[in-house]
Amino acid sequence: MFKRIQPVDKPVHLVFEEQPITACEGDSVAAALLAAGVTAFRQVARGDALRGPYCMIGNCYECRVEIDGKPNLQACQQRVRDGIQVRLQRGLRKPGERDEP
Amino acid sequence: MNPDVVVVGAGPAGISAALALDAAGAGVRIVDEQPRPGGQVYRALEQVSRNRPESLALYGDDYARGLELMTRLSASGVELSPATSVWDISIVDGRLGIGLVCDDRAEIVYPRHILLATGAMERPTPFPGWTLPGVMTVGAAQTLFKESALVPDCRPVIMGTGPLVYLFIRQMLAAGVTPALLLDTAPGHIPVPLWGDLLRAFVSAPKSLLKGVSWLRQIRHAGIDRVTGVGSIEARGDERLESIRYRVDGRTVELNTELLLVHDGVIPNSHLAMAAGCEHRWNRLQGYWQPVLDANGLSTRAGISIAGDSTAIAGADAAACSGRIVGSQLALALDFIDESRHRAETLGDRQRLERIAVTRRFIDRFYRPLEYFQTPLDPDTLVCRCEDVTSGEIQQVAALGCMGPNQGKAFTRCGMGPCMGRQCGNAVSHLFAHCHGKEVDEIGHYRIRSPIKPITVGQLSRLDLD
Repeated sequence: MFKRIQPVDKPVHLVFEEQPITACEGDSVAAALLAAGVTAFRQVARGDALRGPYCMIGNCYECRVEIDGKPNLQACQQRVRDGIQVRLQRGLRKPGERDEP
Repeated sequence: MNPDVVVVGAGPAGISAALALDAAGAGVRIVDEQPRPGGQVYRALEQVSRNRPESLALYGDDYARGLELMTRLSASGVELSPATSVWDISIVDGRLGIGLVCDDRAEIVYPRHILLATGAMERPTPFPGWTLPGVMTVGAAQTLFKESALVPDCRPVIMGTGPLVYLFIRQMLAAGVTPALLLDTAPGHIPVPLWGDLLRAFVSAPKSLLKGVSWLRQIRHAGIDRVTGVGSIEARGDERLESIRYRVDGRTVELNTELLLVHDGVIPNSHLAMAAGCEHRWNRLQGYWQPVLDANGLSTRAGISIAGDSTAIAGADAAACSGRIVGSQLALALDFIDESRHRAETLGDRQRLERIAVTRRFIDRFYRPLEYFQTPLDPDTLVCRCEDVTSGEIQQVAALGCMGPNQGKAFTRCGMGPCMGRQCGNAVSHLFAHCHGKEVDEIGHYRIRSPIKPITVGQLSRLDLD
């Protein structure tokens, strides 16, 4: 859906669902995923519909992902860091899921 | 150390207010969710001007003008807390407290006064299929453009109206992207009753009006198909947006696209003020809740003032004026300056606000929110994105006798997800108003409660309570 019009001068490497992604320092996780062609960020709690970023300013909570095992983080509010493992947020959190990695 | 004033929001209003207070000798801490100051309007401005100054021109002159505010902020004594969210404002042991969280650290600060400058957000636009990946707001695409220099890799369809739509299209054209289609929901012609407002707006701010006309001309010359009078739209697709279907002049048009950007104006970001217990009233013309304020910007809750677009939408220049005035007023109320200094330093801004209000009157009356988005009657349209509640479910519980959004939570969980009603609030109140034949202000809004941003037990457990 989106492409970069500036070259990535300071690359940051992350992984989304086993797919390696090169982002640019200062990117939000949402921008990095969108630039890499990812459209679905989370699966809803009721049913299996997929959602992606809608507002990009931290209001809609549609861009929630799991980062390094920590669920329900807003991808538009998180900055990329080298080596982070990002996953689709699947439904609700389950009882017993840990908060800290 | 507890500052004299905590300012929430580092956009033009918040920064201007903080600078006025700092200049008066008050201790000020300004907090913002973003990693850098600027608010949404000057988002990533410092980063762009430092890392890729050659691309500043793509964003237009108004963007670069914000640099002055940022330079003055970093040269001032104001303490900036970036990447910090507010999760609560309440009276703790008789003291006004504000709960902040940054990374894994939560804290409660006790200032003498709190100034809210939480700015604006785009009006949510529920319609069939608006939850599909590939449907975003125009502002979301603009944020990606400012922060990461991302542009659509296709020719997007843009639907809606308001100054931001035209500004964004102009920015896209500068970046080499030509939208395929603009479904403009504003009236095709300026209605006769608005001619007087337009004339007064032109006399008051000829440059702004001419700028708007030149943007419209650029859109036409760029070969973007512009359709006015669109009454309804539907986004279609399986796992993501594949096509749109809209109705115009009694016929249905279907078009393939993978990106639809929607914008139906902006509304005050009033969640925090509501949670703090500040009274709000319904603005019927523009369809939003705005705080009830006295002439000094003081809300109905002692110790809380509000400035800028979070009081009523008027744009970045007005927000800066409003911030300086409310900041100076607080400095006066807290005895840092005297009446004559306050009057002298705010005179120019008051006159400027009066001029901006003349232009605003025309904009507010011409760019009205679209009823199709305000009251989404199609029963399958999701109104609550978090809890997946449809318009049909809301209409059903209204028919069962449920009187409003707060009672509706118990039936449907609508508004109880992580966004806490930011996206569905106005649509749900409109639907109840529609079903019961009442006005929105008779129905009311969700009762907003803290924590207004999700906070983990882990973060709370590290709270330092003295």
